[in-house]
Amino acid sequence: MRMLAVFEKGERIRHIGHLDIQRSVQRGLRRSGLPVAYSNGFNPHILITFASALSTGACGKREIMDVTMAEDVSEEEFLTRMNQAMPPEMQLSEARAVDQKHPALMASLRAAEYDLLIREKDTADKLVGAISAMMEKDAVLATRKTKTAVRECDIKPLIYELKGEGQHIYATLVLTEKEACKPGMLIEALAKEAGIEGEIRVLITRTGLLGMDENGNLVPLETL
Amino acid sequence: MDLNDKIEKILEKVQKAPRYTGGEMNTEVKGWDDCPLHFGFCFPDTYEVGMSHLGMKILYGLINRESWSLCERFFMPWTDMMALMEEEQLPLLSMESRHPLNEFDVVGFTLQYEMSFSNILAMLKMGRVPLESRERGENDPIVVAGGPCAFNPEPLADFIDAFMIGDGEEVMTELNRVILERKEKGFSREKCLKELAKLEGVYVPSLYDVRYNEDGTVASVTPNCPEAKTSVRKRVVTDLNSTYYPEEFPVPYTEVIFDRIMLEIMRGCTRGCRFCQAGMLYRPVRERSMEKLIDLAEKLQASTGYEEISLSSLSSGDYSCLPELIRELMKRMKDKRVSISLPSLRIDSVLKESLEETQQVRKTSLTFAPEAGTQRMRDVINKGVTEADLLGKVRDAFEGGWSSVKLYFMSGLPTETTEDLDGIADLARKVIAEYFNVPKTQRAKGLRVTVSVSVFVPKAFTPFQWAAQDTLEKIIAKQEHLKQVLNIKGVTFHWHEPFVSFLEACFARGDRRMGNVLKRAFEKGCLLDGWNETFRYDLWMEAFRECGLDPAFYAHRERSKDEVLPWDHIDSGITKQFLWHEKEKSERAETTKDCRKGCNGCGLQRWKGVCSYANARSV
Repeated sequence: MRMLAVFEKGERIRHIGHLDIQRSVQRGLRRSGLPVAYSNGFNPHILITFASALSTGACGKREIMDVTMAEDVSEEEFLTRMNQAMPPEMQLSEARAVDQKHPALMASLRAAEYDLLIREKDTADKLVGAISAMMEKDAVLATRKTKTAVRECDIKPLIYELKGEGQHIYATLVLTEKEACKPGMLIEALAKEAGIEGEIRVLITRTGLLGMDENGNLVPLETL
Repeated sequence: MDLNDKIEKILEKVQKAPRYTGGEMNTEVKGWDDCPLHFGFCFPDTYEVGMSHLGMKILYGLINRESWSLCERFFMPWTDMMALMEEEQLPLLSMESRHPLNEFDVVGFTLQYEMSFSNILAMLKMGRVPLESRERGENDPIVVAGGPCAFNPEPLADFIDAFMIGDGEEVMTELNRVILERKEKGFSREKCLKELAKLEGVYVPSLYDVRYNEDGTVASVTPNCPEAKTSVRKRVVTDLNSTYYPEEFPVPYTEVIFDRIMLEIMRGCTRGCRFCQAGMLYRPVRERSMEKLIDLAEKLQASTGYEEISLSSLSSGDYSCLPELIRELMKRMKDKRVSISLPSLRIDSVLKESLEETQQVRKTSLTFAPEAGTQRMRDVINKGVTEADLLGKVRDAFEGGWSSVKLYFMSGLPTETTEDLDGIADLARKVIAEYFNVPKTQRAKGLRVTVSVSVFVPKAFTPFQWAAQDTLEKIIAKQEHLKQVLNIKGVTFHWHEPFVSFLEACFARGDRRMGNVLKRAFEKGCLLDGWNETFRYDLWMEAFRECGLDPAFYAHRERSKDEVLPWDHIDSGITKQFLWHEKEKSERAETTKDCRKGCNGCGLQRWKGVCSYANARSV
């Protein structure tokens, strides 16, 4: 069986990179004493995947791990034992046992929800104020940086939902294995619209990972 | 902007932010107001170095275990962080509760290597603690220090209020109790330091006056008050089974240098290598029992989730039941997928069987430390290892499927000649020959022999404490020679920067006046001297000039038998007489036997019941 578990990456540890988060979860599993499955081979490792890598600097409210178990355990036991074994900044909130044949999370991922806290009030007001004008445009251009290239792209089709409230911008953005609108791209486009230059300090929190149900609605990935 | 906002802003800009953010598994955050005594544990180097250090884990657990004391960690920030902190006027903050260093009652530094000394000044300054002991007022923390470099405390005498000499496990709590008592009763700083001076193993430098001779050597170091002892005797934990050892270690999120369970199987070493300060300072040898170690290994595995256990000590191969211990650990750790590694593998230990067991989990490169290239030189330094021993172990390793071997040597040892340097190359060639002697079908591919040659630094409390270090010209010439003779196919040659070793030699045997040089160098911008990219040799030399001191006086001068050495008032357990006797034997290339084969009379026999190999009648 596999266990899908929802965990948090707290604000204090938001600068920890994905590889280190992965290692920390693995060590947590080893501390928990839960019967996890290991790979065969010379350097055995725990069979675990993550629905999506979270950027360095971002917090996560509902990140998802997918752990293959060597023996069946109950969801409650998994949660209790893991929460004893994990540091306060990486606690688990839910666990769901699924069949070995359950589709891979990464393949079902469609979008992510974000809560973007703009640190300076003036800047926040301007950015929030620019949302409706930006969304009325036919195309919203932003720069996409990959390892090899930097190019402009239209992020409008990648935005499911966008709204502002106080110093927060709430966004639901496309996130699949093939394409993604990163929060930084959205802020960049909004800044351009609002005529703001210079660095904008944003606290990024990914609040959910979403998949699509048979009716075409975005739903929490772990419920699929 | 409030404190946390400032910190967040900095963390967004700084490189390697996780060094500064804390929150790791097993880092205790006790309520600040719940504990009357606050101890700020400072590791005077970066997070990655400090978090690899076993002593810190021990004392961190020990202090936090007491209901009345709290311990939080401080590390040396990297230069980018220092600049950002200065810009935002942020003080040095603890990893746990983000309290500034000067709000702690005790500030404790661990002194692992001389090249971290400038970081102590930097951390005090960033922590807003007055640099010099005499400048500190009633509300400033008591600044203490311990660790191997505390055995020659003099270069730091101006900056440290009290040194703890020897094993820290017992004296730490005693010291904290005195400081707690001061806090509760409100007695003066001066009285507190005098109370500390009464504790065994505590040295309060301000209670001693140093006089110098005209030639710059020390004339005397004498107590200036009745509380100060004429000679400060080091603390020794006699039973490792009953002394405190943590059952959980902090587990960093990011990779640090030693990111694994460190199981201290014994303390001390009986070999008596004459260059080795640790071998002298950590005497006598004390073992932890197998039962205790297995219990600790299981608890630490469960509390950390680490994938690897390393057995640590100065000479793990000498542990009395090593093969049994390794076998038992492997048996218990196999299902947990934990590998066992032996870091300081000595080449003359009976380990073939154990080697075969190690590789069943993971095969890494093997490290051997012959230290010198010829038998004569090895006899001079009392490294009781022969070429045949070394080659036998190497052959075993190659037959066992290893193909990567590291060989450690020193250059600049007393009496060293070109022949001894050439011996290093000869040994490397013989190691290669052993590899090719193993039939092709039986050996692993990809032979790699790494030869590392460090520069010898004479240290206090060793038989070479009177010796002159080679001059820089000599060292550089020797390194050039080694580069030529070690230009061998299959051999990678590493050498050390001689300038760092030269400065290390000045501090290792420095007197109190070296404190001026340290302060001046720090004011000029010297810090993080253990790192190539930040080490500023030119500034250090300027500092010496401006203080009117000659570094050669400390590094390159041979001392006479009757010279008062700056650390003579510290009693390491080993007598000066024994060390001189050893020095004379080394000049005749005579060896001294392992203490396990009979007491050599190093001086510990004076202390009843401390050393299990001691014989009171020994000379």
